Amino acid sequence: MKMTKIVRTTADAFYPFCLVFGLYVVTHGHLTPGGGFQGGAVMATGTALLIVSRSYREITGRLRQTMLKLCEAFGLMLFLLAGLQSLANARPFLGNWLTQTGGFVGSVVSYGPNPGSLDTGGLVPLLNVGVGLEVFGGLTLIILCMLSGIKEDRP
Amino acid sequence: MTPYLFFQGLVLAGLIVSGILVVTFKDLLAAAIASGAFSLLLALEFYLLQAPDVAIAEAGIGAGLTTAIFIIAIRGTKRYEEEE
Amino acid sequence: MRTALFCVILLVLAGGLLLMATDLSFGHPLRSDMDDYFIRHGQYQTGVNNIVTSIVFDFRGFDTLGEATVLFTAVLGVGLMFRKLHSGEEYEND
Repeated sequence: MKMTKIVRTTADAFYPFCLVFGLYVVTHGHLTPGGGFQGGAVMATGTALLIVSRSYREITGRLRQTMLKLCEAFGLMLFLLAGLQSLANARPFLGNWLTQTGGFVGSVVSYGPNPGSLDTGGLVPLLNVGVGLEVFGGLTLIILCMLSGIKEDRP
Repeated sequence: MTPYLFFQGLVLAGLIVSGILVVTFKDLLAAAIASGAFSLLLALEFYLLQAPDVAIAEAGIGAGLTTAIFIIAIRGTKRYEEEE
Repeated sequence: MRTALFCVILLVLAGGLLLMATDLSFGHPLRSDMDDYFIRHGQYQTGVNNIVTSIVFDFRGFDTLGEATVLFTAVLGVGLMFRKLHSGEEYEND
């Protein structure tokens, strides 16, 4: 089953928007609904559009399995190292030692309902990015591996 | 009846219709798309029940990735269900 | 015939359960001590405006680490299943 030109063009048009919306959900995870898992799933949906509309030979020029594996492992390692970093600062594992200290991500948040700003939250945005990278790499890798198992009649 | 309840009933009726369509279609690609529509309506229902986190996760996983996996599986096998 | 009877019994049971569930008041849990604590102190303690994220990534961060590990293991299993097929080798059964 070969996809038509309409499907390919639509997938190419929607792919960057899905990626940008997923990145928005990941980076604003501590302010708006969503977070690392949801944003990673939205980003993986964007690349799934690209993967579904093409054969495995065509897709390997744009997406490499090594890159995705690296992405996934790096995300999980970021999460673990952020947790261990709190141990070095005399806090419990994954303790939020950066919040409201006035640093890069530690602006003091005003109490009550407010729109908030990006540089609050301490460790939480970092963990969001880690989980987002891991979910994006993992879910895309599942679909790419499944596509590699298909034997296409026509190249 | 408030418009909110009316819209929610509409979404629930759409859920039942798309759920029946998933089972009755003989064209497996159409069944996969109907399953995606089911997930999208479910995400809308979650949003109406004020759970936007779950709605985003359902729209990403259910409507996007599950449909993609089904379509890839149909590409590897046959498109039409056989008559028994 | 027996299948139809079974279906009818199942429908009646499900309808009874749903009728019992309609008596519960939606959005009012019986014990709300924990919820009240998180809503009152969550933003102050973590500096995160989104309470759900503050619970998932801060109060219950270890659970999220376990979830990420589960996803990693699942992807590892899928990768092991399809490991030979992309390097030009054929199935063993062919």
